This record gives sequence, C-alpha cells and structure tokens, in this order.
Amino acid sequence: MSESIILSVNGMQYPVTIDQGRNLLSVIRGEVGLTGTKEGCDDCECGACMVLLDGQPVNSCSYLAMQAQGREITTVEGVLIGDAMHPLQRNLLAAGGVQCGFCTPGMIMSATALLQRTPAPTEEEVRVGLSGNLCRCTGYTKIVEAVQRTAAELQGS
Amino acid sequence: MTISTPAPNPARFIRADGPDKVTGSGRYTADLTLTGMLAAKFKYAGIAHGRITRLDTTAAKAIPGVFAVLTQADVPNVRFGGFVQDRTLFADGVVRFEAEIVAAVAAVDAATAQRAVDAIVVEYEPLPVVNDPEAALTADAPLVHTDWASYGASGALVRERNDASFSSIAKGDVDRGMAEAAVVVRSRYDADGCHAAPIEPRAIVAQWEGDKVTIWTTTQVPYDARAGVCETLELPANRVRIIVPHLGGGFGGKCGFHFEAHIAALAKAARRPVRLLFSRREEFLAPDKRRESICYDFETGVSSDGRIVARRVTMVLDNGAYTADAGFFSQLGAMHALGPYRIPNLLAEAHLAYTNHQPSGSVRAPTAPQTCWALESHTDEVARAIGMDPVAFRQLNAVDTGAEGPSGQTYGEIGVQECIERAARMAGYGQQLPGDEAIGVAIGWWPSFAVPSGAYVKIDGDGSAQIITGAQECGTGSVMTLPQLAADELGMSAADFQLVYQDTSVAPYDMGATGSQTLFNNGRAVIAAAAQIAEQLRALAADHLEADPADIVLANGQAFVAGTPDRAVPIATLAGIAAGGELLIGHGSGMPPGPPPISGSTCVGDAGVAAWVAPQFSCHAVRVKLDRDTGVARIMHVAAAHDSGTIINPLGAEGQVQGGVLMGIGQALTEGTSYDNEAHQRNAGLLDYKLQTCADAPPMDIHFVQINTPNAGPHGAKGLAEAPNVATAAAIANAIAQLVGAPVRQLPMTAERVWDALQEVAQNTIGGAA
Repeated sequence: MSESIILSVNGMQYPVTIDQGRNLLSVIRGEVGLTGTKEGCDDCECGACMVLLDGQPVNSCSYLAMQAQGREITTVEGVLIGDAMHPLQRNLLAAGGVQCGFCTPGMIMSATALLQRTPAPTEEEVRVGLSGNLCRCTGYTKIVEAVQRTAAELQGS
Repeated sequence: MTISTPAPNPARFIRADGPDKVTGSGRYTADLTLTGMLAAKFKYAGIAHGRITRLDTTAAKAIPGVFAVLTQADVPNVRFGGFVQDRTLFADGVVRFEAEIVAAVAAVDAATAQRAVDAIVVEYEPLPVVNDPEAALTADAPLVHTDWASYGASGALVRERNDASFSSIAKGDVDRGMAEAAVVVRSRYDADGCHAAPIEPRAIVAQWEGDKVTIWTTTQVPYDARAGVCETLELPANRVRIIVPHLGGGFGGKCGFHFEAHIAALAKAARRPVRLLFSRREEFLAPDKRRESICYDFETGVSSDGRIVARRVTMVLDNGAYTADAGFFSQLGAMHALGPYRIPNLLAEAHLAYTNHQPSGSVRAPTAPQTCWALESHTDEVARAIGMDPVAFRQLNAVDTGAEGPSGQTYGEIGVQECIERAARMAGYGQQLPGDEAIGVAIGWWPSFAVPSGAYVKIDGDGSAQIITGAQECGTGSVMTLPQLAADELGMSAADFQLVYQDTSVAPYDMGATGSQTLFNNGRAVIAAAAQIAEQLRALAADHLEADPADIVLANGQAFVAGTPDRAVPIATLAGIAAGGELLIGHGSGMPPGPPPISGSTCVGDAGVAAWVAPQFSCHAVRVKLDRDTGVARIMHVAAAHDSGTIINPLGAEGQVQGGVLMGIGQALTEGTSYDNEAHQRNAGLLDYKLQTCADAPPMDIHFVQINTPNAGPHGAKGLAEAPNVATAAAIANAIAQLVGAPVRQLPMTAERVWDALQEVAQNTIGGAA
C-alpha cells in the first residue's frame, strides 16, 4: 500500500509517495535521486548503503523508509562543506584510501559518525568503528590512516 | 641495478577519479536509468545437472507488464567459449550447474519480472551430478558434456572426456632424480574454490538505437565483452558499443563475457532499454568466474646438502560446468606447483576437470595463491625433513639472476633473493616469540602479460590535454597513473590531462583490467602516442625559436632550446599555433615485448604460459598467533617484499599490496566455497562467506625491490595487481603448521580444520607415548 511522506535528506525536504514496505536505500536512490549511497548485499553485511539518521549510522537497505520520517537523513552527498570537500574526503584521497570507490560512501558515513562520537579515536577504535563496512580493495590500512589524519586535523582546528 | 624504495613523496599521487568517488557524484552502472527502462531477471536451473523435458513460458508472457521472455530458441544458435566452445547463452537442452540460465525476462519492474520468472514452467530429467573433480577423471565417471569431442576448441588444448585441458611440464629425468635423492617427501593438499567478491554486484543496461546497441556494464574487459556480444548475437563489432561507468572492483570476477548479450537480446525483443541488477546471492552463484578448487599430490627429492633434485606433482583443477577462460589454468597451475625453484628433474601434470559446479575463471592471480599455499607448505615439510631452516632452504633453492627456472627459462636480473632477505628482516624472523606465535615464510611469483594495447593523446588549442584510451580502470589506479607517463614524455603536469576511458567505440583496443597488464601495456601505448605529439611540439618550437628541433627540450610546460632556457615558449602557445594548422594528435601502441626463450623442458598442452615475460617475485613473512583451544588463528603482522620492477606510483603500489595481502588472509582463514551433495553452494552470501573486516586487518610492512627491468613495461615496470595475492596464505600456513605441529592440509584453514589438526597431533602424541 502506498503512502505519501516527507523525507528530510541532507537538509532538503523530499515529498515521496512510496509503498510502505520499501527500504530507505531504494527510496534514496530512486525517488530522492541520490545515487551516492550504494547497494552491495541488501542484507546488512557490507555497509555500502550506510547513511546517518540523526547522526547515527544505519544500513539503509534494511531500514524502512517510513521509519525515517521526521528524522534527518545524511548521505554522502551531504558531507561536502558548501562546494569544498570535507577533510575526511580530502584525506581519503591524499592517503590513497580510495580504489574502486564503491565502499567509500558507506565508509565515509561510518567514519563521520565515529568522529562525532569519538573525536580522537585510537587506531583500534577506528578499526572497530569501521568494521561494519567491507572494503575489498585497500586492505583498510590507508582508510584508517585517513580517518586518523582527519581526527588530528579536526582536533587541531 | 637495484635501487631501494624511495622515501614517501609528500606530493604523492592523487587519483583523478577520486573526487567523483568521495563525493558520491561518480556514476556506477547500477546508478544509470533510462526513460522507459525495464528490469531483467533470470530463470536459473536450480539443479546442478538435468535434461530439460519441458520448458513453457506461456504463463510468464501473459503477465501484464512483461515485455519479453527469452530462451535459447530465441537467440542465434551459437556455441561460444574462448578455449572450448562448450557454452550457449541459455541452457541448450541440458543444465550443468545450479545457476545455469534457462530463460530471461524483461518486465516493467523487478517484482513483475520475478513473478514472470516464477511462472516459467521447467521440468527436468535428473542426470548424475559430477561433484568431485578427481572422480570426474575416472573412466566410468558420467560425462558433463557428452558431445565434448565435437566442440570447437583451441588447438593448444589436450582434451579427453571430462578433462578439458591437460598440461604437463617435464625436464630432466624425474625417476632418476627421486632415486638419487637422500630424502623424498610426499604431501597431499586440497584447496577449496573461492570468490572474487567485489563489493559492487554486477549491473548491465542495454539500449538499442536502430541496428546499434549500447551496453553499459560492470566489466573489467570491455573489448572481451564486446566480442562475446558480437559472437553470440551475430553482430559486427562496430554496431556494439560497450561503456563502463565507474567500476566497483573486479578482482578478476568481472573478466570475461558475462550477461551483456542476454540483456542486449532482451532489450531488442522488448524494444525498450533493459537493466539487470544482480543480488549478492546471484553474484556468488551465476558468474563463470570462481577461483578453482585444486587438489595436489607433491613429491620432492632433496640431496643431503639440501638441494632439490627432483619434483613430481599431479594436480586436478575444478573447471566447473563450462571452460570459460580457465583453459590455460592447467599449465599456469603447473608452473606454480613447480615454483620459482631450481629443479633439475621434474614432472608436473595438471588436469582441468569438468564438474557440475559453477564455472571457474580468472580470479586475481588464477591458480597462484592456492598452489603457492600447497607448494610452500610442502616446501616447509621438505626443509623440516632434512633439518634445514625454511628460509635458508629457500635461499639455497630459489631461482636467482642468471638461474634457470623449472620450464627452462633463464632469468635476467631478478630480485627474489632480496625479497626473501627483506621480508624475513621486516618480520623479525628468528626472534624469540611467545609459545602461541610463529612466523611463516613463503615465496611467490607471477608473470607479466605482454599484449597489444592502444591509446590516443591530443592537446587542444588552449593547451589542455586528453588521453583517450581503451584501458579499463577497476580501482587499482593503473589508468589513473597514465597521465603521469604522458606528462613526463611531454614536459607537462599530470594535472594537464583528462582521461577518456572504458568506451569501446571511442578508443583503440586494450585487453582490460586483467593480468595486471594495464600499466605494462597501455603505459607503453600512451608513451608512444605522447611521443608523436612531442615530435610535433619540437618542430613547432624549433620554428618559433629559430632552433634545431633536435635541440628542443620539453619541460615544466615549456619548450626551450637546450642550454639556453630563456629561449622558451609555453607549450600552450604552441598548442594555439597548432590549432590553426596541423592538430596535436598522437596515436600509440608499440610492440609488446616477445616471450623469452625456454629450453630443455617439454610442455604438453602448451597454452603459452611457461615462458614468462618480466616475471614478478615476492616473499611474505607473516606472524600468526594461535588459540590452541579453539583453532582460531589471528594475523599479527605481515611483511611483504615485492620485485615488480620499477614502481611508478608508490601510493597505488602500496595499496595493491595491502589489498592483495588482506585478500590472501581471507583465502587463508575464511574464504572457501562449500558444496553440498547435490552440488549446491552452501555459503552463497557474505554472512557465511566471510570477508576480512577492518578490525581483522593486521599491520603490514612493505618493501619494493626495484629493478629497472629490460623488456618490461614503462621505465622497467612489471605488473603488480595480482602478485600481492600470491604468497600470503602460504606464509600463514607455514606459521600455523609450526604452532600446530603439522600442516593443515585443507584451504581455507578454518578454525575447525586447525582444531582438527591439533587433535590429530595430540592423538598421535598420546598414541606414540602409549
């Protein structure tokens, strides 16, 4: 059964009419039209679909779009600061933490939530914090480096 | 000449596709939508072996919203395959593995397409399931392909019944060598198959305009995909355009020709654009690219002073139901089973057995990691049997500059010995360790592939440049490195170049992101194309500066007269002059280096992979901690030393090693496909097929032994993407064997298998005491 709801994504209000059973991922990619959030498994195992709901990381493949009403959804497209890259995005590139890039959006959302929660994480905290996001390319080393560099940069500012 | 790894450059390379990827603006195939686009779904066999007795699509076609339902009767009757023409697009009367495609549907949305798939009626007469590659080779085994003898095939292949490709390498007199050996060690090892498992599942979009089709697809090999579409749908190459948007990883799994023709055929029948999106489960089951399981019987004879005098190895590789690109795996596997060692007397025999499993195909260094695991485990057994330190044994027996390898190839300057020394040192080999920790060491090797490749370079009137290349970027960054090569040739900055790539109707041929070949071959092509423009620029500058073209130097964005840098003109100015006359357009390919000579060996079933151009070497040393109560092994540290020739992009090179090593850790400990008695995959999902996470990844130290290798890629570079995946599982195995007191003879070495090995050792110890 379809219902009309309003989703708030990256600070914009999106009126959408959707079947009640739709997951948030498919609505973000389809109706909202933001394809930065990826589908890798549709089963909460890979983390490619991770978005923030009121700042908390959620696998959007396994979350009903209806439940996201009234909450602020942040996707990778909402991480830019104006037209400039967020330090995390810049550091991922500088450290070489991006190869195929398919896990990158989910990884960025996970790391963003981690740094909000733990502004100066230890390496172990970074590794555990990102363990819900699978990357097949990098071996994670350079991603961890990028998150640590970002933490240092944000702490210093 | 050997030079050490340069210190990290603070201005290290940043990939040009990076901003697309970190901002979410980059488009991958699944992100594309076209007006009127339909959703595709496949009807799979669901059983591993059976004859179709009834196939009825009437009810499916009657469902509102269904635009097309296709079976083999609706497409040209073409049997295809690069090595053996053993396959059709849809099942042709017989299904031979569980995810064989019987029919395809295009419908208004995915749910309707799935309803139509469910409404297709298929009945089967069950046929005996061939579930064990070794049993498949026995005389009374049921045939997977009863018509095998009538199939077209590459003339290099030696085929017989279920053996799709037999290959052997022989040198010296192996019987005499064994007879003369002081000690002979025999070992059996079994490696399960495993998966590439890129995080991006496959996606394909096809759209026809008139008699031309454009296919956006997640392939690592656009030209190969195009050739497959052309062959199976009987179309000329210039009417099929393959475009690859950003590709979300491949690791070999997206090599070959997959489902592009199915989707093109659906789009044609439906008269609408059609999109296929794979689920994770389909990603595990359906592609004809799964790392082959292999079983090995080794026998190695050594002299009393620790020199290998003879090796005999027999191996059986699981081909699966169709041969795909695995035709050369038997010879490649045989090379890896012999290893980078000096062996005067040897015989390796490899069989590629048809089974009713998912077809095998190129996954990152096909045959190598599992064979290195088996060989290097065996090597430690040999060293132990004669009381030698495993590292010293390898230093004594591994090939070296000027030495002859197992196939009779004599190597130029190579860095294997330095790799061993460096990896052992970085790992702290020989240090005192706690009782639950050990360091295992293994060496690996991998060829570079010299093949044709092409590129264009142009500089427009404003001085900005483009590289238009057939090369495919799958994440490794090798295409992203090409601007650096063109910039060096033209005295410009890498940032002056934009890339146009992975579009078969725009750029010349390249083999694709396969065989670690992009930088090796397309780098040569880009340099050749840039060199043509450099010549044009020198002529223009000579005219402008009233000098001899031979005296013109291109550097820092300028052309100047050698020795008088103030007689200079910006390249952008020359580009402006050229825009009014002869345009700055270069095209390049360059001759790939030919294969090195081999002598003294006999190769049967010679697929051309016994002579290795610019071979790469590696040594990995891994410290492992074992919980003896549970069998759980934890990787504490990895030291990886690689000879991949000159390193052009250090940041990218490190990333290849880090990613390859972690994939190797997964293959060592958790990644293995398990089949039930009816040849269904038991663990076709990421919950049961466990990839390594960020929390699992150990610290790594990496060293590149850089040798400016002749007859290699640009500036003496070899390949790199596959080599880091070769030796890790083997090194882990050798640490685990020390901690268990015996090798774990199955890969992956899961906690359960390690625990079983511990119990066996304990029982033998008790039995021995009693």
